[in-house]
Amino acid sequence: MILEGSIRLPFSYAAGVVGSRFLVALRDEQVILGGRCSDCGTVSCPARSMCPECGTHVDDLVEVGPGGTVEAWTEMPGKPAFGLIRLDGADTALIHHLLSGEGKWQPNTRVTARFAPERVGDINDIEGFEEERGAS
Amino acid sequence: MNPIAVIGTGQTKHSKARLDVSQPELIREAASAALQDADIGPDDIDAVVISNMEMFEGRAFPELWAGEGAYAFGKPCVKVATGGTSGTSACIAGFHQAASGEFDTVLVVGFEKHSEGHTQTGMALVDPFWDRAVASGALGNFALSISQYMAERGVTEEHAAQVAVKARRNAANNPNAHLQMPDLTVDDVLASRMLAEPLHLLDMCPQSDGAAAIVVASEETARRRGSQAAWVRAATTRHDQPYLGDLDRRLVTMRALRDAAQAAYTRAGITDPLREFDIAEIYEPASYAELAWYEALGFCKEGEAGRLITEGVTAMDGELPVNPSGGVLSTNPVGASGVIRVAEASAQLLGRAGAHQVAGAATALATGYGVYAWSDVIVMRTEKP
Repeated sequence: MILEGSIRLPFSYAAGVVGSRFLVALRDEQVILGGRCSDCGTVSCPARSMCPECGTHVDDLVEVGPGGTVEAWTEMPGKPAFGLIRLDGADTALIHHLLSGEGKWQPNTRVTARFAPERVGDINDIEGFEEERGAS
Repeated sequence: MNPIAVIGTGQTKHSKARLDVSQPELIREAASAALQDADIGPDDIDAVVISNMEMFEGRAFPELWAGEGAYAFGKPCVKVATGGTSGTSACIAGFHQAASGEFDTVLVVGFEKHSEGHTQTGMALVDPFWDRAVASGALGNFALSISQYMAERGVTEEHAAQVAVKARRNAANNPNAHLQMPDLTVDDVLASRMLAEPLHLLDMCPQSDGAAAIVVASEETARRRGSQAAWVRAATTRHDQPYLGDLDRRLVTMRALRDAAQAAYTRAGITDPLREFDIAEIYEPASYAELAWYEALGFCKEGEAGRLITEGVTAMDGELPVNPSGGVLSTNPVGASGVIRVAEASAQLLGRAGAHQVAGAATALATGYGVYAWSDVIVMRTEKP
């Protein structure tokens, strides 16, 4: 005997102090914020409330990007490519969609963020990253 | 740590779907096999540790409702869940319980029944804010790091395919293994469906139903029984940052595994792992992972992993056979996969590995891996500490 079924999993997660500031800036100002560690100076992006390098509490948020470079990428059939994008001014990488490339992405390709016309306070307020115009 | 040893192991037949048994029944298969192998009865077990991935089967609290399969009634029973390392972490928890002196004999059981649930849902539940934008699961997350690793370390798709072939050929000598592909070739791997650039279907582990168990015993009990024992000489674990982009070049540096290995080797007195280990059972979720782990575990210098697989150094007849069982690439009931690594390493030292036995194995390595964020390293010897 096999019992068939499915479960609905509603949620309402708090983004937290730093995460909320990041998402509000994205929604209201089309600005991407990094978190600068007061101890080791690492700038995380997305801004983290705890420094990924040394664990120190972070409350100094600074603007990074919207340009950056592709560090790594992959693509699954039928889906947009995605990659790790290190935004200008940040020391860590953001995982997001790569929108414009044809075929294989080269490491260190210059990209810039494309923002969604209607933003709701979600990481998808950035639609993804496209190759910088004029970049070679 | 007081000396402790693994005195028995047990595994189910692993396969795509074990629809013939419920989850507790699956657990019981492995648990009873381990008791039989250790030549003890359920009453000899003082404590039970269960390993299982969270929500993969759509059921929570397996230590509650599946404990009966592990003879847990009337005994202390806990669940350990640390992603892919759940199984090795559960073994380490069992080691600590037995080494504490509080419990003499501990049963560790890991299980997964992928066929009953929806793994992608479990993976998507990891982070609601940042990583869910691409929601790529374990497969995409792993594939993402490979482009960097290939570029920096000179690894090719052919090197990876050779790992995939080695695993499946080894599995052909392991009747418990899920995938049975004795005639697989490098060309087959390269021609298989692209899952996520550059990962082909046959570069990846399968999803399996299965369970595995080990019996851990105190020094006194292991000695009194007079039989061979697989002595635990070091067991280390490292936790790391959870977000993919937060660590520089994760797969290239693999600092959690590197650090855990260094600590374990120091504790166990290992200075030349390639020569000193007789067999290794390492947790490789994909072909490329095994190559990266060769470097992180010190089997070779950085950039030499491709040479190791091409020259057959890690083949069954090589200097250090890696994953004689066929590894995670051939069998992956996730909650059990770490236990399988320890059970296989132990069975090799006990001389009970059957057709995939490495003759005279006296020093063994077992590792666990979980999404780059957890690494476990265990060193075992036939020689008592």
